[in-house]
Amino acid sequence: MPIIQIQDVSKLYGFGDATTLALDEVSLTIEQGEFVAVMGPSGCGKSTLMNVIGLLDRPTHGTYQLNGKNVSRLRPNQSAKIRRDTIGYIFQSFNLLPKLTALENVALPLLYKNMTTTKRLKLASNILERVGMQEREYFLPSQLSGGQVQSVAIARALVNSPKLIIADEPTGNLDSAGSRLVMELLSEIHKLGNTILFVTHNPELTRYATRVLYMHDGMIIQDEQTAIGQVAKTARRSMFSPLPASAEDDLAGVSALMKAVPDKDTKQPRKARSRKSAGRGKVSKPRRKAAK
Amino acid sequence: MKSLTRGNFRAAATSLRQNKGRSLLTMLGIIIGVSSVITVVSIGEGIKQQISTNIDRAGKNLITVRPGHAARGGLSNLGSLANVSSGGTLTAKDFETVQTTKGIDSTAPLGVVAGTVKGERGVYDDGPVVMTTQDFPKLVNQSVAFGVFLTEEDSDDYVAVLGAHAAQRLFNANVPLGQTFTFRGREFMVRGILNDTASAPLSSDVNFNNAIFITYDAGKKLTNNSAGIYEVLAKSSSSDPTPAIKTLEQRLTRLHGDDHDFSVLRSSQTQAQTDSVLNLLTELITGVAAVSLLVGGIGIMNILLVSVTERMHEIGIRKAVGATNRQILSEFMAEATVLSITGSIIGIVVSLVVNLVLRILTSLTPAINWQIIVIATLVSVATGILFGSAPALKAARKDPIAALRGE
Repeated sequence: MPIIQIQDVSKLYGFGDATTLALDEVSLTIEQGEFVAVMGPSGCGKSTLMNVIGLLDRPTHGTYQLNGKNVSRLRPNQSAKIRRDTIGYIFQSFNLLPKLTALENVALPLLYKNMTTTKRLKLASNILERVGMQEREYFLPSQLSGGQVQSVAIARALVNSPKLIIADEPTGNLDSAGSRLVMELLSEIHKLGNTILFVTHNPELTRYATRVLYMHDGMIIQDEQTAIGQVAKTARRSMFSPLPASAEDDLAGVSALMKAVPDKDTKQPRKARSRKSAGRGKVSKPRRKAAK
Repeated sequence: MKSLTRGNFRAAATSLRQNKGRSLLTMLGIIIGVSSVITVVSIGEGIKQQISTNIDRAGKNLITVRPGHAARGGLSNLGSLANVSSGGTLTAKDFETVQTTKGIDSTAPLGVVAGTVKGERGVYDDGPVVMTTQDFPKLVNQSVAFGVFLTEEDSDDYVAVLGAHAAQRLFNANVPLGQTFTFRGREFMVRGILNDTASAPLSSDVNFNNAIFITYDAGKKLTNNSAGIYEVLAKSSSSDPTPAIKTLEQRLTRLHGDDHDFSVLRSSQTQAQTDSVLNLLTELITGVAAVSLLVGGIGIMNILLVSVTERMHEIGIRKAVGATNRQILSEFMAEATVLSITGSIIGIVVSLVVNLVLRILTSLTPAINWQIIVIATLVSVATGILFGSAPALKAARKDPIAALRGE
């Protein structure tokens, strides 16, 4: 049974003329134990997809099944409980509480499970040991380096032993050493059988993934299985491809990554590009539906 | 849930301590509200106690005849306060009637004689000149410190007995026996000085400590019989004053031409009269003070709203790691509760200090009882929780994504 099963999920922001289509009928299935990298230019809907999968946000249309259970129409309290028990979230900006120590931060999710303080701190300490941060338990986030802070955040995501770990650009605010530390940690967790989704802009980091998704304008335009230890093919091409040839290409948000998408699959991106030039394409989806 | 609640209270206390200045300002409304409610009520209570000790001292069978019909209950009592001190409608005839009534043992009129008292040290205007008869000290159990009180032999002689404070003020001497002062052009000689009496502040009774007593006959002579009597005191011969009061009422009604424009009160009624006026005043002032409790509640709401906005990001993080709406709600409610409880504790301490200061600097002896402390605390905690719930709900209902973005 796939852990994540998304069917025709759309997410719209705003209303009237200002409607933005962040996800455009995305369908996606992720099996237990996959290590998925999500790539794509800014504003392509990666974070929205992560938020929907992480139950921080609800899709406007479509269904989402997590562990075989439909979770696309949950009430806020129900999704909070699922977040607490089955999902670990890692943010680009770490999002630790600045006034709490590393240990207390890691123990925070357990607080909402009504665990006693001693039990919570003990569990948190064990997890911190696993991410190699035990000797810094009593440090405040401000006293740690970026990589260390993200390690604490990873420990926090792990403390509930979640089935699914979502990392939204976990290395975005880190230098290469920090990125390496964080990615090694994630791949160790993956080896233990966890499912991990992470967003990245760095093609190098697709080495850790078993599968790479490329997104553009709210759609998944490329889905590639890849071997661990190798940079994904599409991503590798984007690394060395030249800068956009014309200003028009760049304006449309077409990055080097887009050009790297293999030719046989260019049907979708071209459609996206033509919609764009036809007139501020992002809002066209609902209109198109009405026309049908 | 227990551990979470305790954790919330601890966290709230910590955040209070971290923002001491702001927390104090937040609590100011509650502090002022609680302390002023407690102070006002305790002052009222204290005065009531003082009055009742005075009345107890005078004895249970003391009868007071006052002008005006004693109205009972409600706002009309405010008028009776003015009535009592306004000289009123009692005359020498009334006094004679009381004197001759069967079952009345002893009696004394009390009438204020207008005029200026001039002593060695200038004009004395701290207290009234009261005309009365020799039975007065016996009736109110007032003892004489030095010399003697007015006697029957004095009749219309110009002699005077001073209250303890009056003696001090007028002559700057503890025992100014034999000294003289002038009043309405006559020279009065001091015959005796009364002991200090506990007087009830704010009560309608004349403060005997500041009064100068002259004989009834001298008073009548000075004013050509025009001075009014504001109160006639009498003591019944039996321990139960009821029959005497009945006869008195009948005789006085006949004398006033079937007009019941006077009241005959037993000691407990005299107290009830002043008590009801005092209660009304206390209630009014307490009401005003309670408004500041309301303002305090609004202060708490205001600061919590700021706190919710400031901690939006934190709320987002907590929700992302699995906090439910209820858990966020209880976190902010804990803060509101801690604020209002701490505020009322400080308020109680302030009111105790004010109480002490009042006892030292004034003649008031406020009596704090635990009931009013409990009520004030409960009310303030209730306002804190009531007004805290709006910002707490706002925090709890935040969308996690928006909160994480800090919107």
